[in-house]
Order: sequence, then C-alpha cells, then structure tokens
Amino acid sequence: MGCENTGECHIGSEGDIVTCRKVIRNVATAAGFGMTDVTRIVTAVSELARNVYVHAESTGMMRWNILQQPGKVGIELIFEDQGKGIADIDQAMEAGFTTANSMGMGLSGVKRLMDEMLISSELGVGTTVRVVKWGRIK
Amino acid sequence: MPYINSHSNSRYISAFDKWQEQKDFVKFTKDDEEALKKMHPTAMKYADDFVEKLYEHLMSHPDTKRFLSDEKTLNRLKLAQKAYFLDLTSGDYGEEYFNSRLKVGIVHQRIGLPPRIYMTTYCYYMQLIIPTIYGNPDFDAETANAIFMALYKIINLDQELAISAYIHATDEVISRQSEEIMEMSTPVIQIWDGVVAAPIIGTLDSGRTQQFMERLLEKIVETNSPVALVDITGVPQIDTATAQHLIDTINAVKLLGSQVIITGVRPVIAQTLVHLGIDLTDIITRPSMAAGLKVALDKLSIKVTDMSKTTQGS
Repeated sequence: MGCENTGECHIGSEGDIVTCRKVIRNVATAAGFGMTDVTRIVTAVSELARNVYVHAESTGMMRWNILQQPGKVGIELIFEDQGKGIADIDQAMEAGFTTANSMGMGLSGVKRLMDEMLISSELGVGTTVRVVKWGRIK
Repeated sequence: MPYINSHSNSRYISAFDKWQEQKDFVKFTKDDEEALKKMHPTAMKYADDFVEKLYEHLMSHPDTKRFLSDEKTLNRLKLAQKAYFLDLTSGDYGEEYFNSRLKVGIVHQRIGLPPRIYMTTYCYYMQLIIPTIYGNPDFDAETANAIFMALYKIINLDQELAISAYIHATDEVISRQSEEIMEMSTPVIQIWDGVVAAPIIGTLDSGRTQQFMERLLEKIVETNSPVALVDITGVPQIDTATAQHLIDTINAVKLLGSQVIITGVRPVIAQTLVHLGIDLTDIITRPSMAAGLKVALDKLSIKVTDMSKTTQGS
C-alpha cells in the first residue's frame, strides 16, 4: 500500500472524520496490526476526530506516527485543536460526562481501547490528545 | 480576490453581479469595449473564413474529430461558432453575453468534451485572430495594442466562466450521485409478513441516520411490522456517536410499538463496544441476520418447517 510512517489530516467537517478513519485504517493495517486492533484504533480515531470536530470552534489536526521498537510496532496519534479547552480533564474522562449532549463515553472508551493516553488542555487555547497503541510484530 | 473566495457560497458558479466584480478586477473598462468594437468590422470580414479554418483544424485531429460526428452537427456548430466569435467584438458584455459563455462550459461538460480541448482550441483561435489585428492597415500600433489587450481580457473572462461552469456541472453530478448512493445504501425491505430488514452499509453519520430512521419508521408502519432487523454487518466500526444514532433509532421504533433486533454484530465490533462502555443489554442482538430472523419468527409465533411437505409461511 506504500504507506508513509508519518502524516497528518485536517479536521474541519464531518466528512474529514471519515477521511481520518480511512487513512488510519490503511496505515494501521499496513503497519501489521491485526483486525481487532485495527478496529480498536479506528474507533478511537473516530471518537477523537469527532471531539475535535464538535468541540473545537476552529479546525483541528490529526497527526500520526508509526513507532518502531524491538519486537513491537506502535501507532501514535495526536489530535490537536484550538478550541475552548477542557476545564476539568479528570471529569471529562469520567464515563457519562458530556457537555455536548452525547453519550459521554468517548474519552473513557478511548482510554480502554488504546494503550497510552495523554490529554493536555488549556482553557481558551486548545486541547491536545495523544494516544498510542502497541502491537506485536508477526 | 473576493470573486474567487465567493465560489464556496455560490457552488462554483459565478453569479452575474460577481462577474461585474471580475471585470473590474481584470480592469476591463469602457475603453476595452470601444477597442473591441473597432475590431468588429474586421471580425465580420473574417468570421466565415476563421470558422472554416477552425473546423478544418478540429477535423484533422482524432481527439477533436470524434465530437464532430455528422454533417448536421457540424453545420450547427459552425453557425454557433460564428455567433460566438462575433459576440467577442459586439461591444455588449452584459447579462446575455455572460449567460452565453456560461452555457459553453455547461454544454461542453455535458457532451464530455474535456476543458483541455476547450482551452487549446481557444489558443488556436487566437493564432488566427492576432495577425488580423497587427497586420490590419486600419489600425495604428497603439490601436492594435489596445485591441489586443482588450481581446486578451475578454477571452480570459470567457475562459473563466466556461471553466467555472464546467466545475459546477461536475459538482452537480457528484452531489446527485452521492444522494443516490445514500438512498441505495439504506434500503428497508420487508422479508416476512411482520418483519422488515434494514442492512446498513458504511458509516452512520448524522445526515444518514436521519434518513435511515425516517425510512425505517415509514416501512414499519406501512407493512405493520412488529419486528425490525437492523443489520450492521456492513458497518466497519461503531463509535459512541454511531451507537447513539442506533439507540435513538431503536427508541423511535419502540414508540411505534415495534421492536428492533440488531444483527450482524461481528466479534471485533462486540469487543470495541464493550471497551467503549456502551450498554446494549436491553437490546436483542445477534451475530447474523439468519439468527435474527429466527428470533423474529419466534416472537411472531411462526414456525418454519423443513422441506418434504411444504414450507409453512405465516
């Protein structure tokens, strides 16, 4: 498939969420992740890209990197927006908490789908979410 | 460039008042109109000759010849071409002119003539016209330059209109097709007396959910079905937004007194749903549509017996 090891996608519309999913599905498959992990990763992408689209007043970005380590491969995804920011990250991570009239399961769900998750946010400046999923090289 | 930015609002097609702005932008003035009018007698003189030469040129290339299939079309096009050419120097560049130029792009797009041919043909055209400006004893050097510059501007405006119309026409085809795909990808069908099935292919975004929900609810009422099978075999992944759309649909169906069975739940989907913490315990789910149909028939107290005699329907 000739996928690059790094890249980025712009998130400005609902259609861009579809593009992000498609790109990461190809990238993760090419990197050697199994079908179950690919679905987990793509679901996390869907959640986080939707968060950027819904909460960021301006537009945002998704960046991805393939991480190589002895015996394992990883995919790092960084979502950045210049939105209003998250007031209380711990609260945002709680299942059922929402400011957007949705399920409120997204962020807590992503944490369970991925291996690493780090959120940094400043009110009025924006939010960055970094997640990583590791897989064994077959 | 305010005109170019306006494309997003006007879906690529230039509104007439925007075209006025475009004329101002390229500094197409009254002087240019006057200069072009001076060219009109020359244009009249050479029009038939140019049109003949142009079509001779087009007929000598297989790439362009294929658009000029029969004599009748050819003659009609020659007449249109002559009018088009004479319009260039008519001195009137108002709404009628604007519309005729837009139409060029729309018609060309419709017959599948690529913009490449339109542009290169225009280039050939210029090669015919320019010598009649500079070699013309009626024009001094200054007049010839003014005419050339005016012609250059109006042709640029012409081309922009035609290309915008091309893009707009293509854009319309794309949006019509995506609507068609959307309709096709959410069929709701009656598969048994009292059971409707709705296979979802692709992603459930908010626009599609709305449409899907409407069709499903309508079909349930129309067929008076107590059970609806919603099959998600063709949904590559389900995130919380999609799950919420599904739950909304299920609740709407409940309000009609019917029940939804979600079928086609693949193992990977089951795992991600659990990880996401989405609770679907109140909803009947099955791994395949066949298993879902069995549940539906049980609910309707329908028994299907195997062969030899006859299959017992409802």
